[in-house]
Amino acid sequence: MSTYSDASSVSAPAPRALRPTGFSGVVPALAFVAIFFIVPVAALLLRSVLEPVPGFGNYAELLGSATYLKIFANTFIVSGLVTAISLLIGFPVAWALAIMPGRLASVIFAILLLSMWTNLLARTYAWMVLLQRTGLINKMLMGMGLINQPLPLVNNLTGVTIGMTYIMLPFIILPLYGVIKKIDPAILQAAALCGASLWQCLTRVLLPLAVPGMAAGALMVFVMSLGYFVTPSLLGGTANMMLAELIAQFVQSLVNWGMGGAAALVLLVVTLSLYVVQLRFFGSQNTGGR
Amino acid sequence: MKHTFAFTALAAIMAVAIPAKAETLVFSSWGGTTQDAQKAAWANPYTEKTGLQVVQDGPTDYGKLKAMVEANQVTWDVVDVEGDYAAQAGKNGLLEKLDFSVIDKSKLDPRFVTDYSVGSFYYSFVIGCNADAVAACPKTWADLFDTAKFPGKRTFYKWSAPGVIEAALLADGVAADKLYPLDLDRAFKKLDTIKSEIIWWSGGAQSQQLLASAEAPFGSLWNGRMTALAKSGVNAETSWEQNITAADSLVVPKGAPNLEAAMKFIAVATSAEPQAALAKATGYAPINLESAKLMDPETAKTLPDRQTASQVNADMSYWAENRDAIGERWYAWQAK
Repeated sequence: MSTYSDASSVSAPAPRALRPTGFSGVVPALAFVAIFFIVPVAALLLRSVLEPVPGFGNYAELLGSATYLKIFANTFIVSGLVTAISLLIGFPVAWALAIMPGRLASVIFAILLLSMWTNLLARTYAWMVLLQRTGLINKMLMGMGLINQPLPLVNNLTGVTIGMTYIMLPFIILPLYGVIKKIDPAILQAAALCGASLWQCLTRVLLPLAVPGMAAGALMVFVMSLGYFVTPSLLGGTANMMLAELIAQFVQSLVNWGMGGAAALVLLVVTLSLYVVQLRFFGSQNTGGR
Repeated sequence: MKHTFAFTALAAIMAVAIPAKAETLVFSSWGGTTQDAQKAAWANPYTEKTGLQVVQDGPTDYGKLKAMVEANQVTWDVVDVEGDYAAQAGKNGLLEKLDFSVIDKSKLDPRFVTDYSVGSFYYSFVIGCNADAVAACPKTWADLFDTAKFPGKRTFYKWSAPGVIEAALLADGVAADKLYPLDLDRAFKKLDTIKSEIIWWSGGAQSQQLLASAEAPFGSLWNGRMTALAKSGVNAETSWEQNITAADSLVVPKGAPNLEAAMKFIAVATSAEPQAALAKATGYAPINLESAKLMDPETAKTLPDRQTASQVNADMSYWAENRDAIGERWYAWQAK
């Protein structure tokens, strides 16, 4: 749900002439948001305070239990880790894409997009096959004599982090690419002419200019990670369960919608707060200044 | 004028569409090879007999079922659910009572018949092992819980359902007839001893993958999956020692649009021949007591209903009563 709200921060506002003027122009959009977003969220909110008994018992149970708090913590740790690693890997890729010749760049873009369009479940299962004890990676490492025992790469935090980072990478590379591409190469040339080393060019010129793209990409990846279900469920163990799986258990298995609703709302509130923070600090740069 | 025409046309289409809809029946199950088999063994003969089409839907989702019934917008007529859920949902008013003047229950295994549900097929949790990957295969639940004698990862069913808790208690030496009420403290204490060695499977295909790749060379699996593994050429060894049975059930959600057709569908699905055909295709046992006669002895031999000597029946009514409480503890323990 949160990714939709993200999109608005990335796209620039329409030119004034194209905007519908007056209240009537906004009505369809408002009605759409009301029907498909506000009403279901309100219903969920109501369930979380009405079922099984009216009151805030669900929230008390959710926030008062060590198990559930651990799941919240896990969710943030995994999301943070995935975001950090995605940034580390994604930045050089985006930079390289921005400066490489157009034809090569489009080949790499095609690879990126193809991986995004491949079925998520198939990609997750593929990682399972690669990472398992008898999988390709362990066999290769053992064959090269680097390890004697297969490394535990799956059904734990390592597996979740690898799988999720792989899936999230395009979401950080694309916004970063957009921002880096827009940076005038003359600025970097100027820095170099003024005697800046490569490192200084990177840390004092390129990185600060790329901050809005990094912020947008990181927020998108972090927020998507918070609600991720398939990959953690298949590549993780039960000890690093994430929030989405807890919600699925409440709704599907325990049929306890009160608790499911409460957990979903906590997730929503966290997501919206992050979005507000992002807008507060980076919003003006993103939308091209106000 | 244009609007009026469009409106009339729409009304006409709807008038035609609604009776057309009543000619079909929607069946929801878990997907995969089992649902394919249900379609071939049940839906096709039903269509031949009644002329009614069966639309396949799924996967079954208890949250969705509850939402449909509460919103009075039920789109499923017959649903394949787990036995303990069927017992609980019946009690909670989510299901229609079955019409046993249409469904002949005299031939059905009485263990799997309630006012609101009849068995769909029944299966056993067995001890499965990839014999090529280990020096020796565990034979009993006690073996499977013995990490000194049988080192390595073992795989168990991830969701809270009859099976794993029973296995832990049996492994700890509880007699099969003294299992219920389940001593949860004792079961979790026993499970604690192997927790770090457990890899959970959440679907049948995953359990097969774990065993075949030797990621977890042994564990507790549905017997049908072991049959399929053996057929695929894996050196899969099954121990039926204290195999724990549970059944899927067929139910009709409250307010299902095609009630009569639903009863007829269940009548066909649980009759001797379709049950035999499903058993043949899946390796799960028929719940119609006359189906066994219709199968070739080779197939019949591999089914749970031939393994009754040391069979343990999971108590569905106990589970229905305590499903929520066990579930909450189960997931909390898993996440710890």
